[in-house]
Amino acid sequence: MSTAVAAPLEALHRAARGVEVREGPDGTVVARLPEDELRLAVAAIAETNAARFADLFGAHEEDGVVARLVYALDSAGQYLIVEAAVTDQGHPPISDDEPAAFVEECELFEQVGIRPSGDRPLNRVLLPPGAENTFPLLDGGRRSAVPRELHAPHHVRGEAFEFPFGPVRAAGWESLYMGLVTTGEEVLDLYLFHWHKHRGLERRLQGLDPARALFLVERTEGLSAVALGVAYCRAVEAAGSVVTPHSAASTRMIALELERIYNHAQAVALLCQTTGLSVGQAQAEIALEQLLRVNLAAFGHRYLFGVVELGGVRRAPDAEALGSSLPAAVDSFRRAVRALLRTNSHVDRLEACGILSGDTARRLALVGPVARACGVDTDTRRDHPWHPAAAELGVATRTAGDVLARMEVMVAEVEESQRLILELLPEARTAVVDVPRNAGMGLGWAESPRGEALAFVSLDEQGRISRARLRPASVRNWRAFDDAARARNVFTDVPIIEASFWQTVAGFAR
Amino acid sequence: MLWFLRGIRRGVVTTRYPRATDAWARQLPSPPAFRSRRLTPELAARLAESCTPGALRLEGSELVLDLGACTGCGDCLTAGDDAVVPSGEFELATSARDALIKRIPIGAEG
Repeated sequence: MSTAVAAPLEALHRAARGVEVREGPDGTVVARLPEDELRLAVAAIAETNAARFADLFGAHEEDGVVARLVYALDSAGQYLIVEAAVTDQGHPPISDDEPAAFVEECELFEQVGIRPSGDRPLNRVLLPPGAENTFPLLDGGRRSAVPRELHAPHHVRGEAFEFPFGPVRAAGWESLYMGLVTTGEEVLDLYLFHWHKHRGLERRLQGLDPARALFLVERTEGLSAVALGVAYCRAVEAAGSVVTPHSAASTRMIALELERIYNHAQAVALLCQTTGLSVGQAQAEIALEQLLRVNLAAFGHRYLFGVVELGGVRRAPDAEALGSSLPAAVDSFRRAVRALLRTNSHVDRLEACGILSGDTARRLALVGPVARACGVDTDTRRDHPWHPAAAELGVATRTAGDVLARMEVMVAEVEESQRLILELLPEARTAVVDVPRNAGMGLGWAESPRGEALAFVSLDEQGRISRARLRPASVRNWRAFDDAARARNVFTDVPIIEASFWQTVAGFAR
Repeated sequence: MLWFLRGIRRGVVTTRYPRATDAWARQLPSPPAFRSRRLTPELAARLAESCTPGALRLEGSELVLDLGACTGCGDCLTAGDDAVVPSGEFELATSARDALIKRIPIGAEG
């Protein structure tokens, strides 16, 4: 075990008793401990500053409900899973020591019925705020909702009023409710409800054959179909101790980078729309349409569905189509961006708008361009590489933490993605190896356009899914949206900040 | 002013659709079309079983395709040998839900 892994593990052993450590599949380290040691363990790991909180979820297993905390040990290139059998009201809030875990703590209650001890309210994540009866858990059981539960009630006084915005909004965006507290200009406070979009996908995946479940996984967050698909497939492959061929990994990388490029182009187009620059929007959308047609020509699908398969890839890229049409499409995007960055009226709206600090990004364990624009140098492709080419990746960062910094990071990533695609193109092939159907568990990851996407699967004796956890980057990054929107911004800045975050509601409310 | 000129210089990029279908649209994934004669009850059962979105089902001696549920994922093309081909049809809008239900007789001539 490397020294970088040793630091959090040593802290874990020092702080908590009864810790059992084992090597999981694909280099993952799993530490199991008793429930009453959980709080101390989380605090000790947080103090090392060597582990980035990545996820928290629960599963109904033979010995009751097991909670798993996933930490990314970026400097070691490994993931640490801390697991404990937990009971209702049996442990203090994990978010006391790991603030980033609050959303997942709420989800833990709504999915497996486990609340932390104490009477501090949680928030509603998947449930509608008005739900006062029982709600279904992942194992089919039911749990009583706490009526009108709200972690931090908003007090609207004086000249401030609350402006309800959504869930149906203009421009065909996803269902999202924003509660904007404002005096008419400045945003004093903001809260979000994502539940209108919730589809119960993690429950629906249970009991499915892993190969068929991929169909739903790809559609969980359609704009990250490749990233989530790769993360999920790698999790199932890890459970079966399968290593995919290098040529299949290259094809996956190419599809991932194509997904990144078209997402970033779409984000730039949306930024133009929100700043009212309609010709700029049209220019960016022309580039976007070209990129989607490149996807279609290369892989047979505009949004790259159906490329990834368990054990490898179903389709190889059409090298000729990709090699000839991608540079032209990226050049079209590049020209639009160059003109945008020379347009003062556009840049003025982006500068010093929606600022997030590096400290906030680290405290909330943000990922992707949102984190990198705050100076947090994290990228799953480079930090947890599963393809040798990714280890040499140039990761773009900025320090301003505003909308302009997020746009600049995205633009720089498009260039790096194109370089990677053209470099890997000669070695990309269709290749699939058999994945055995047996019991096991595995963790998979990929860097989506929005940041680190994680998937965890647990398979039963017949090789069917007993628990599948999907953690798109949107789950992490929406957490910081209200911080960014509140930071000295006015009402009309909110759509601009939302465009620069470029998160999906589907990824959060899966 | 510069943006106005830039827009003018770019010219018209929209196509003549629906007066003429774009050539690239032929590459789009489309719902399946079935060759009745080559369908056997066993193959039809396998196709219904393999359809993840649940767009295919067996009803007596017919294979029923619900175009409202089909995502054009292509799984049936893989499972169906030469009995299933891409329809190339993507203009599926209709004012009646029932019009999206297609009934394919199994093993019939034609």
